[in-house]
Amino acid sequence: MGKIVFGGAMSHVLDPDYYQAACGDIGRQKVTAAMDAIAKMGDRFADRRADALIVVADDHMNAFSFNCVPAICVRIGRKVQRMVQDEAEAFDKVLDHMPLEYPLHEALANSILEQGLRSGFDLALSWEAPVDHAFLSPVNTLLGKRPIPPLVPIFVNAFIAPQPTARRCFEFGQHIARVVGGSSWNAGIIATGGLSHFPELLLSRVGETDTVFDRKLIHWMETGEHESLLDLTADELHKTGSHEFLNWMVLLGAITPARAEVRYFGELPRINLAAVEWRLS
Amino acid sequence: MSRYAINTLLYNLKKDRALRARFIKDPRAAIADADLTDAERAAFIAGDMKTINELGGYLHLVMSVPKIGTHGGH
Repeated sequence: MGKIVFGGAMSHVLDPDYYQAACGDIGRQKVTAAMDAIAKMGDRFADRRADALIVVADDHMNAFSFNCVPAICVRIGRKVQRMVQDEAEAFDKVLDHMPLEYPLHEALANSILEQGLRSGFDLALSWEAPVDHAFLSPVNTLLGKRPIPPLVPIFVNAFIAPQPTARRCFEFGQHIARVVGGSSWNAGIIATGGLSHFPELLLSRVGETDTVFDRKLIHWMETGEHESLLDLTADELHKTGSHEFLNWMVLLGAITPARAEVRYFGELPRINLAAVEWRLS
Repeated sequence: MSRYAINTLLYNLKKDRALRARFIKDPRAAIADADLTDAERAAFIAGDMKTINELGGYLHLVMSVPKIGTHGGH
């Protein structure tokens, strides 16, 4: 019987230079503290010797263009490539120093995909989609210089309306837990992005966050009140800049009813940085 | 307003270095064939990313097209 042996979620632009440029010294200081907390989460992940690491994140119009935007897509195949952007700027530049290729856990990815389609999840699949900072900044921060285990990247359409619902993302996470539970593999799972930033995806609102909303989400995760999260609407997530919480909803479905422990929460004008880990039995 | 046309152009400007170079040199000529409204075309020619975003341009593209995008505050 396989098991989910680690659950974590974290912001996904983990780069001191980025936040120095965006927010000054306080930005560097806070993202460094967040990265330290995530690296300590990585110690615990490594102790559990997972066979695979499932990474639930969103694309930023790097892997998918407007020719197709899948609601939920399982990256299959043997390897996945880092997104390459010439003359990269802003959050794309975070990737520059990272390895170009990563192994995939092909059998677990195929199981999530095939069993998902058999049980009513109309999942997309890709052999080619590269992964951007949303996947690789957390993975590399979590693991540091340790070997990176085979990944299972899961893309969630967090940004391009209409997105999948919070409830559907949670249900998909429950599906992941069933697949892992029926397999012979132990897996870790992380969700990335957030917390509140870029409300309404408007340039004029870059620099605003909704800390009250974030604290409500954190409270529900700490107390394991996942039912309260199922009815989050697209409009709420959009207005509060919580689009990427859909990734977290997948994770919550996979680990429910476990309770969260906040490892780091830091407010910046640009974003509320967070690192959260779940107590799994 | 065409969310598709604006974003396809932003995406191509990000991923196609040659198009990006032509756009930086002569934006009007570089996007002459793009299926844009007058307002959208004017915003691109002016390099007005705020207006492009308000017309439907996806924020992360608006922020990350090399040499053209705005990083949103820095």
